[in-house]
Amino acid sequence: MMRHLLRIVWNRRRANALIAIEILLSFLVLVVVLTMTVYMVDNYRQPLGYVYDNVWAVRISINDPEEGVGTVPRDRTPAGQRERIDTLMHLVRDMPDVVSVSTVMDAPYSRSGWVSAIATGGRTYEFSANRASDDFATTMHLTLARGRWFGAADDGAAWEPAVVNERLAREMFGGQDPIGRIVQPDPPKTASVRQQPVMRVVGVISDYRKGGEFSPPTNWLFYRSTSAPPTLGPGVPRNLVVRAKPGTAAAFEARLVERLNTNAPDMSFRARPLVLARAAVLREGLPPLAAVALVAAFLLAMVGLGLTGVLWLTVTQRTREIGLRRAKGATIPNIQHQVLGEVLVLTSVAVAVGAVVVAQFPLLEVFGAVAGRVYLAGIVLSVGCICLLSIACAWAPSRLATSLPPAEALRYE
Amino acid sequence: MLKNYLLLSWRILWRRRFFTGVSLFGISLTLVVLMVATALLDHTFAPMAPEVRQDRTLVIFNGTLIGPHSVWRDGAGFQLIDRYARNLANVERVAVISFPEEVFSYPGGTRVQSSLRRSDAEYWRILDFEFLEGGPFADQDVHNGSRVAVINAATRDRFFGGTAAVGRWIDTDGQRFRVVGVVSNVSASRPVSSGDIFVPYTTAKTDAYQGRLLGSFMGILLARRPGDFPGIKAELASRVKTVPMPDKDYEHLYAPAETYFESVAADMFGQRSDDTSHAERLVVAIVVAALLFLLLPTVNLVNLNVSRIMERASEIGVRKAFGASTGTLVTQFIVENVLLTLIGGAIGLVLSAAVLKAITAAGVIEHARLALNVRVFLYGLGLSLVFGLLSGVYPAWRMARLTPVSALKGAAR
Repeated sequence: MMRHLLRIVWNRRRANALIAIEILLSFLVLVVVLTMTVYMVDNYRQPLGYVYDNVWAVRISINDPEEGVGTVPRDRTPAGQRERIDTLMHLVRDMPDVVSVSTVMDAPYSRSGWVSAIATGGRTYEFSANRASDDFATTMHLTLARGRWFGAADDGAAWEPAVVNERLAREMFGGQDPIGRIVQPDPPKTASVRQQPVMRVVGVISDYRKGGEFSPPTNWLFYRSTSAPPTLGPGVPRNLVVRAKPGTAAAFEARLVERLNTNAPDMSFRARPLVLARAAVLREGLPPLAAVALVAAFLLAMVGLGLTGVLWLTVTQRTREIGLRRAKGATIPNIQHQVLGEVLVLTSVAVAVGAVVVAQFPLLEVFGAVAGRVYLAGIVLSVGCICLLSIACAWAPSRLATSLPPAEALRYE
Repeated sequence: MLKNYLLLSWRILWRRRFFTGVSLFGISLTLVVLMVATALLDHTFAPMAPEVRQDRTLVIFNGTLIGPHSVWRDGAGFQLIDRYARNLANVERVAVISFPEEVFSYPGGTRVQSSLRRSDAEYWRILDFEFLEGGPFADQDVHNGSRVAVINAATRDRFFGGTAAVGRWIDTDGQRFRVVGVVSNVSASRPVSSGDIFVPYTTAKTDAYQGRLLGSFMGILLARRPGDFPGIKAELASRVKTVPMPDKDYEHLYAPAETYFESVAADMFGQRSDDTSHAERLVVAIVVAALLFLLLPTVNLVNLNVSRIMERASEIGVRKAFGASTGTLVTQFIVENVLLTLIGGAIGLVLSAAVLKAITAAGVIEHARLALNVRVFLYGLGLSLVFGLLSGVYPAWRMARLTPVSALKGAAR
């Protein structure tokens, strides 16, 4: 049976090659779109690690003439600013609707980011870094998996306390308990680079997906923000996160900004609820994906219709051949299976070639951040979809093939 | 002669309505996708009010500092433009305008978000804004640091419910400005001219901006003639070479004067943005992307056409037997295909207009008024023809190879 099918397909190889190319191209489109979709859905299902309801983020622009190129290195902030921001934080804490407030370098759903790395024991670990004060975990309702957040216990310690997320903890320490581990950075290779301080992991949070629900999970490491000058990285966290009592009215925000403006007229403040920041991030991320999905859906609809048309014409042309087979005793299901079988042979050939092509994508790093299992799921789904599509397209033509009685089919012109 | 071809084509298309329908579905939707993409590109890059002198306008968008270990890319700083971009040969005017900055206001206690830009008075002479009320602020206002503002129509609606705004006050970012003019809205996709509130750059809260080499400004240069671009670019580049490095971490500064398209291309293809070949690479990338997208619809249409040749084998045989040359038949077939794609193109145009209207109505790009203009229509026509020829050549070639005898027997293989 199989051999027979292969021979029939081979005999009409030129017409079939075109069909196979069409299926191959559709398969490639499906792989790209479904991998993207699986990737987004997979990201969406990961925990955020914080609770954004009732939280306002206030971005502070310092407008300091001393800062910037030429005068002070960017990674240090002139003295006095830390104190001023501390004062502002206390002013906000005293407002009646405020539950807690904290400073942070990069607030949830913000676009700015600080990427850093640590070389230790000959290996380099990359991560997104952040700096936050002692109340950040309570303000953001971070999920602590192990250990504790920063606190008074870290005052005057000989090491820099650090909180990592589970992903980074796994990468650095494998299955071992990360709490209390000392990280001794390797000495820098060139003299101009500063030696990083010794760190001690004091806590593990489940995650901190700053980019929101659709962002890819990354490694995170938090440094503690105190009134002392930082030993590394950008200086003063320039965001306040403010958790207000549930049901706090929107007018609270105007009072908050008013209070800050009055006390620091040379600075600029941009306050907004995280709910809105989140909506803006989602609004920006979804239209491109929706557009790609829409275009792909239309391409597949077009291929579906086109393939049905081509198979229909092919079957019509082969009416006499089919009549002969039926005259020789082939049953109706036999013929239908033959038509479907031929299409499936073509699909398999196309998918086999397609598999070779898509196997190159990870090697060429086309889908940079996509995990292997996500990519595999995308491919498996695509194979399923393309088989369903070709069966659906062959269904009506296979019925047509047996609609004429054998005697008439033999005489068919 | 052409009339004959067209008549025949029309008859054939009409006789096989199902297949014509399937083809038209594919062709028109393919063209919709391409035309909507073209309209979006056109809307972003082509000259459009108020950027009516775009053929004479170059912009310094970014500066890039490059060192052995670090690269710092940011907007141009005020100092860079003020000290190095003035008095270039063949430059008629120079304006500075800051990148849009989000600011919040609370008229009546509810938040209004606006994008604030700080400019000089030359800005209003280079760009041709349509003033609905009042006029621009003057050199004197900029010199004195007057708290005056030009707002757009959307901001007038938000603050004053659409009633006359000139002479009234708006509070934003802790400052109070008197409205002196109201301009029409400009699409958010135009980085040089979009914005809600324009104020003199001297109203900044501190004079920190004055010392910045990289920062948040763009410099607009108005050339005397379009042909002056290469000279201006070269002179600016040689001046930028003389800028002393602000920091020992960096060795080179790049701050080219470019068109927005060149700037986008430089962002996509690399940091050393005085290399003008980026724009050509972006054009090539766009064309390749369009051709890749066309691949699947083309194969689909070729497939349908080839199958239909088999069906029409006897017709072709008869025509050949009566002396029609291969050339006549190929022409016939290509005319048929081009006619089909032109009909598809017409449907596509109507659908594109509807899609663009929907995108405009949904407000995906703020203040964008997307529409089909003559330019986009011509692109669409060109695309239809390319598509028609692309998908008609292979089937025509197949048809020309049929011998009359085998064609008459219907034995096309």
